[in-house]
Amino acid sequence: MKYALYLPLFILLFALGCDDDDVLSTQEVDFPISFRAEFGGTPLAIQSADYAYPTGADLKIQLFQYYVSDLELLPAGGGDPVQLSDIELIRWMSATEAATTTRTFQAPIGDYVGLRFGVGVSPDLNAQDPSNFAADFVLNENEFWGPSTRYVFAKIEANADLENDGTFDTPLTYHLGSDALYTTVTFNRTFTLDGTQDPDFTIVADVLKALADDTDSFDIANPDQQRIHGGNQAIATDLWNRLADQFSLETR
Amino acid sequence: MPRFLLLCGLFTLFLAASCEPDAPICENCPEEETDAPITGPANPTAYTLEVPSYLPRPIVDETNPLTVEGIELGRRLFYDRIMGRDSAFSCADCHKQELAFTDGLPKAVGVSGRTGRRSAMSIVNMAFNPNGFNWDGRDGKLWEQAVHPVEDMLEMDEDWEAVLIRLRRSRDYPQRFRAAFGIGRTSEITQELAVKAIAQFEMTIIAADSHFDRVVYRNTEFFTEEEQLGADSLFFIEDVPVGALHPGCGHCHNAPTFGDNRFRNNGLDNVSSLEDFEDIGFGAVSGSRFDNGKFRTPTLRNIALTAPYMHDGRFNTLEEVLDHYASGGHGVENEDPNITGFPLSERQKTALLAFLRSLTDESLPTDPRFSSPF
Repeated sequence: MKYALYLPLFILLFALGCDDDDVLSTQEVDFPISFRAEFGGTPLAIQSADYAYPTGADLKIQLFQYYVSDLELLPAGGGDPVQLSDIELIRWMSATEAATTTRTFQAPIGDYVGLRFGVGVSPDLNAQDPSNFAADFVLNENEFWGPSTRYVFAKIEANADLENDGTFDTPLTYHLGSDALYTTVTFNRTFTLDGTQDPDFTIVADVLKALADDTDSFDIANPDQQRIHGGNQAIATDLWNRLADQFSLETR
Repeated sequence: MPRFLLLCGLFTLFLAASCEPDAPICENCPEEETDAPITGPANPTAYTLEVPSYLPRPIVDETNPLTVEGIELGRRLFYDRIMGRDSAFSCADCHKQELAFTDGLPKAVGVSGRTGRRSAMSIVNMAFNPNGFNWDGRDGKLWEQAVHPVEDMLEMDEDWEAVLIRLRRSRDYPQRFRAAFGIGRTSEITQELAVKAIAQFEMTIIAADSHFDRVVYRNTEFFTEEEQLGADSLFFIEDVPVGALHPGCGHCHNAPTFGDNRFRNNGLDNVSSLEDFEDIGFGAVSGSRFDNGKFRTPTLRNIALTAPYMHDGRFNTLEEVLDHYASGGHGVENEDPNITGFPLSERQKTALLAFLRSLTDESLPTDPRFSSPF
């Protein structure tokens, strides 16, 4: 008779085990996010395009890259953000590359109110020794200055034709980064991920906006402003702030 | 009629001559069939490539896992002239251990003294290269790279089928292939297995015990004053004064690997258009004219052993290399913007050279792990 008690208990336990709420709450979908580089509002063409700079010079962009740390979705109900990636290196360095590159992440289905990321290498990763990583990992791609200055958060490299003589003989190299410059960018958007009508997000960065705005252009004719490297980050702050402030998010 | 008979006779003679058996592919090899069963051990032992903690973790090629037997087989194939035309040329003929696996020549010299198109690259620290192989990056994997030198008429100039017949008929190699890859018949000795074994050996050639390493990472030695000046003030780029023109070698050759393996036009050629490079390098691989004249940025480890320099060996000495970089590029539109030119006093040049020489792993040229097994 005592076994008669065990039977309903077993059925109850079995029924609880079949509860699929947990499964639903952790279901994930592929969530692609695109990154587009522009120059003056048009898709960036590495090396192949001549770009007019506000001071009258022409530029050929050779390299544009930046790190993205802690790419996160902000849940609608509050709570901890959902991390899509701890570190990404977004880079354009070849004429064969499209201006838009897409990375696909795994994200839980649900409602969200925003997207957030850090421009640069987050302080915890910036404290790491690059030799902790494999040689082909993004934090080990020769983007490390050294023990005191650590990772290069972003690079803009170009050849300029200052005299408009058709010769791009003035090299410009802006290598930026330090813990003090690390900047968090947040885009407030309400959206739902369910795998059916997910939004298409494109994070846009404009090289020209990093170098110049309507009132002030980085003086690329000044030899003191043609190179920013390593420990000279004090003069990079203005350039960095403009770079970090100009990110925009396109939603379709 | 006599004329017809004469023609018939000549034709018969011609047929007979063409039926003459070919010269043996391998004079010393037994005339055996090339699909014989192989016996012996067939359980490869997994090998973990250990590198010092101050180097990055090696890049693992999941299509070619390292094994003790595979590495040993690869070492033999690397040094064995059975791989070249008429069994007379080996990989090691262009990659000499005592020269950090280069050949000391401006351009590689292959079978019959034929001059190649480019300098023989050092094959040291390949385990840290994420960007394809060769000067132009045409091969994505190290073992894919090993295919071409065998059949290149300017290098080893041999037909892979002939190489495979020699390997299959060998008294030694079938057992070694079985030990490395678990195969059961000689016909299973393939080009892919041969180059994978060679690549396994090459992956183990690590140079990481230079004076620089002992100063900076192991803390067992000290820089000389000259080396210190070369390192802090010239090579690395942490504290460059505002606006200063500076060697800045570290932009592309940063420690600890001292070469990022990316493709750059480093200002060698003064061409009037991107189509005018004598050797377009990476452009032939990418298909973009904007990549013409770009070549790999190799490691500077052991640079004192690997003269002459650049993809075409145009500079005989490191002094010439420094003079080139100090003079800047030529304003060609796809030159790397880190090529700026810079002032370099004799004292600074001496210091920079002293630092570059500190990157030599003195044990590499005689390390028995990398030496000929024959």
